[in-house]
Amino acid sequence: MAETAYVSIKGVIAGYGGGDVLKGVEFDVPHGGVTCIVGPNGSGKSTLLKTVSGLVRPRLGEIWFKGHNLVGMSPKEILGLGVVQVPQNHSLFREMTVDENVELGAFLVKDKKVIESRMNAVREMFPIIVERANDKAGSLSGGQQRLVEFARCLMLEPDLVVLDEPSMGLDPKTLKIMFNTIKMMNSMGRTVLLVEQNARQALKMSHFGVVLENGKVRLSGTGTDVLNNPEIGALYLGGSIEETKHAS
Amino acid sequence: MNVTALIDAAKDGILTGSLYALMATGLTLVFGVMDIINVAQGILVIVGAYLSYALSVHFGIDLFLGLLITIPTLFVVGIVIERAFLGRLKGPEKTAMSILVTYAVSLVIEGSLNMIFSVNPVQLHAWYVNKSFVVGGYHFAFIYLAGFALAVVLLSALYYMLYRTRFGVSVRASLADQASAALVGIDVRRVSTICFGIGVAVTAAGGMIYGATTTFNASTSYDLISRLLTIIVLGGMGSLGGAMLAGVLLVFVGNVVGVIAGAVWSTMAYYVLLIIVLLVRPQGLFGKQSARVA
Repeated sequence: MAETAYVSIKGVIAGYGGGDVLKGVEFDVPHGGVTCIVGPNGSGKSTLLKTVSGLVRPRLGEIWFKGHNLVGMSPKEILGLGVVQVPQNHSLFREMTVDENVELGAFLVKDKKVIESRMNAVREMFPIIVERANDKAGSLSGGQQRLVEFARCLMLEPDLVVLDEPSMGLDPKTLKIMFNTIKMMNSMGRTVLLVEQNARQALKMSHFGVVLENGKVRLSGTGTDVLNNPEIGALYLGGSIEETKHAS
Repeated sequence: MNVTALIDAAKDGILTGSLYALMATGLTLVFGVMDIINVAQGILVIVGAYLSYALSVHFGIDLFLGLLITIPTLFVVGIVIERAFLGRLKGPEKTAMSILVTYAVSLVIEGSLNMIFSVNPVQLHAWYVNKSFVVGGYHFAFIYLAGFALAVVLLSALYYMLYRTRFGVSVRASLADQASAALVGIDVRRVSTICFGIGVAVTAAGGMIYGATTTFNASTSYDLISRLLTIIVLGGMGSLGGAMLAGVLLVFVGNVVGVIAGAVWSTMAYYVLLIIVLLVRPQGLFGKQSARVA
């Protein structure tokens, strides 16, 4: 993995009107790896991802990606630069079919041949799309919906995939598939920026880890560094790191 | 009970109801995509009627031909209202504030219409307005039949747009979930503006038929908007299919009950139906929490 900064988050202050949730967040996302953001509830993890994808406009600060400051850009413009987000809550359009949902991932692509070839590519990666092509997305289980969301986000062949708690509500079997899929996306050359409550497992597969607390970066480093930090382990990973070693 | 009168009432209910369906579809489309309750829809129907009136009286333009002018005009009026006032509404109070803002817009339009056309009621006239013909022993008023055909054509066009075009996909996605729509690259703001324009544009057709079948002035809008709002509540807020069905039910049920139990029960019947449906399904006939296109 190259260690050059791919996304530079500089002094981001943002919130929803009732006060700032992010209070000067600053870190770099390395190119080509998986970066995992962990932290307690309310620390601003999801808000931070929303500022990257343009759903929340920061009050102050800059987010640099490919020479563009994403702050002030619309979600559509940011998407056009190759940044795709899969949000925390299921975002499929329940009344549309699986096929329609996946195709919507390439909404910005005008060329029908390109769309069809990308559809074929994601069909190979995610058999569920073929099996349930004409079913309404709302009829799929939570895990299946998540996989269709992953497939949809790949339709734009993004450079940066932003995932907000992708494991939420998934059973252990689907969880494994989901983490494998993230690894697969990363192995395809996509940089992944991930927020995950299942912090221990996510940090293990991450090249870089960031701990957010009260809207600020408490700690950052390699995934292993963050995972092995005893203080962080006790505070945010559900027990001390020593306990984890014994358990494994 | 007079069966012929009952069938006549049912037939007229369906024909007239389709127009209410058309007008209410515009209202529910706007709510579904924008979370905005446009209480100015009633006065905009009257604007449509007055535009047809002005074109007919001052320029001798046929009522149906005039729609080629009034529909685009009201589309532009809708765009202007959305850009000037509604696009600025944001946050959790957006829907509540939209009622106040569109009511203010409605008052301004009502005052302007009274100033321009006076408060004296008028009606649209053309050679075919009072024509009727008989099929199978039943009388069909030409204007109601033409209105029905117009509503069917416009609603079909709306459905084609929604289910067969790229813009329609973006509307359906925005109807379902605005944040998710934005995340796949849909310009929800643009979709909202155009939908508001479409929602207002359909009032031109509704207004023309309404004005040809009823005398009207600006104050007539109060009766109209109360009917339109109850239609979208019965159909389910944001549900296009629901608005169509409830629009037809509004007149159909009223007419049929009017024949069976007397005219005094006619209006009440629809509201009784509304209350019963809401007791069983508080979200209305086709209202859903997450996906609102029925």
